[in-house]
Amino acid sequence: MASADGLEAEIKALIVEALALEDVQPEEIETEAPLFVEGLGLDSIDALELAMALEERYGVAIEDDPDRNQKIFASVSSLAAFVADQRAGAERANA
Amino acid sequence: MGLSRWFEAAPRGDVSVAFDREGERSDADLRRDVAALAAVLPGERGHDLLLHCEDAYAFAVGLLAIARAGARAVLAPSRQPGMLRELAPQLHGAVLDGDVPEALATLPCWHPLERADASASCAWDARRLDRDAPLAVLFTSGTTGEGRRVEKAVRHLEDEVVVLEERFGAQLGPDARILATVAPQHLYGLLFRVLWPLASGRPFLRSALLHPEELAPHSSGDAPFAVVTTPVTLRHLVERGDLARRRAGCRAVFSSGGPLAADLARRAADALGGAPFEVYGSTETGGVAVRQQQRGGEPWQLLRGVKAEIDPASGCLAVRSPFASTAQDGDRFVTGDRAAFTDTGEFALLGRADRVIKVGEKRLSLPDMEERVRAHPSVADAALLALEKGSGEPRVAAVVVPTAAAWDAVAADGRRALAKTLTEHLAAHFERVLVPRAWRFVAALPIDAQGKSSQETLRALFAAESPPDAPERLAAARSERALQARLRIPWDLAYLDGHFAGNPVVAGAAQVHFAMAALAELLGAPPALASLEALKFHDVLLPGQEVALRVECEDDVRFRYSLADADRPQRLFASGRGRLEPRR
Repeated sequence: MASADGLEAEIKALIVEALALEDVQPEEIETEAPLFVEGLGLDSIDALELAMALEERYGVAIEDDPDRNQKIFASVSSLAAFVADQRAGAERANA
Repeated sequence: MGLSRWFEAAPRGDVSVAFDREGERSDADLRRDVAALAAVLPGERGHDLLLHCEDAYAFAVGLLAIARAGARAVLAPSRQPGMLRELAPQLHGAVLDGDVPEALATLPCWHPLERADASASCAWDARRLDRDAPLAVLFTSGTTGEGRRVEKAVRHLEDEVVVLEERFGAQLGPDARILATVAPQHLYGLLFRVLWPLASGRPFLRSALLHPEELAPHSSGDAPFAVVTTPVTLRHLVERGDLARRRAGCRAVFSSGGPLAADLARRAADALGGAPFEVYGSTETGGVAVRQQQRGGEPWQLLRGVKAEIDPASGCLAVRSPFASTAQDGDRFVTGDRAAFTDTGEFALLGRADRVIKVGEKRLSLPDMEERVRAHPSVADAALLALEKGSGEPRVAAVVVPTAAAWDAVAADGRRALAKTLTEHLAAHFERVLVPRAWRFVAALPIDAQGKSSQETLRALFAAESPPDAPERLAAARSERALQARLRIPWDLAYLDGHFAGNPVVAGAAQVHFAMAALAELLGAPPALASLEALKFHDVLLPGQEVALRVECEDDVRFRYSLADADRPQRLFASGRGRLEPRR
């Protein structure tokens, strides 16, 4: 399983690829910086596309819960934590 | 003398109808060439013959011969193989100058000027053409991509020519030479470059006028001339300055094919002594209205015989016109342009209706945003388009021509800084989802063969991975063994990144890459390289430079290439030679 750093780097690459961001290199995305509006400046369409890409890549389920999602999508770091949590949960369930 | 009566009009002998560097073609030449071609064309009504000529004189010969034979000319907008393959099954033949394209190899093809029996007499019976006979099939350039077929009868074309002569004849005078930059394959070029000059006895330039330098040999001293062009090409003509030196002879400039910016209209007027005549129309409607911008934003005046109103459902201009090929005479044709009438019966155009798009449920007028982009001090010109990416939700993309000062900033700080600045500029006025997601910075808005900045030519800038990894191509010519192209190195070329920050140069490897891409184009396949030798880099190549790239095959295995200053061929940037794997 990827380390926390490795997962964060993967998610940065996924963001650039899934959203076809031009002029942004994955390593330039700050792990703790806000993804939306300020910081990277993503928007509501990006949020939907990013959610789809995460579900497809990691098999995680992102529910229709705006308050919770706002926290999950706050930064690369919060996204990585969410993915890691979901995976850990899935492994326990399979054990 | 209208088109329908051309075959019964008295021959005018040595009077010039067309000209190029090599000389003049007379009315007698034209009649002989038309007779020779008409004699061999299949003469059944309803036969469709493709007509495509670079040479406007050859085009005129082809069109008149097809009309005489009673067939219909299908004016393919280009020789793009995919388009020709699609058209081929419905064609009975093709009339073309130049080589016969592969896609038409199974059809009978005729060169309009290379008839075996060139001595054929033109002692034809003086019959009139049927004014209602379908003469030409044209294709709309189509802002949405898919071109539509539009049929024109003889009368649609000749009636418009009569109105044009009425409106502009005195302005041009009887002897102005017509210099056009637009292809005769489209309605604007067909009318202004070929049919109107033929009908009014004004000689027309056979080749397309591409650079202002070409004006000189065609019009000595103060010889009167008129220019038929598009806004994008007009900008080039005005910027090069050569036109201004010939202003004494310039009777009129016509601009059509897209909106003419007020500042360009003014600069053209300063350079040429009179504001350009802008013609508003479409393939379907023919010419609709005309204006000259003095202060900027003057309303449009309808051409004689044309009626127009606002279509209440769409807010768009609806046209009834004798030049419009609608299902029935008197039918309205609703354009895609929003418009409003003034008290005096003139109208203002308010932008394309199909340029209002929806992104994430939000409506956006692309022209409104374009205006906002242009208002930024770093921007000289801009065009926006909607790009559909993976999920199908369109996103806005921007093509921007930065000002000279902004280019310097791009050179110093990179393209990303300017993209960020403009993103923030727009984010202050528009919802976040509407702000352009992709930016291209170019020295001039890209144009297609008609001199239009169409959605297609803009979209092509985004087709490749970003930013661009190839130079802009300004012109190209090829023979069997050699390819020569005039290229401009864009300021946001991918290969500039990382090379001397603040002082970008084009890497040597990139220059070799350009040459190999041209070699692949020449060979029709990626080259199987055996070796590359004698690679030399003579001078530093900077972005913004225009270069002449030449690739030449000496035989089946050996090739050589060079990149030189496009305006000073003795200044070489790079050269080299190589060998290909022998073909098995």
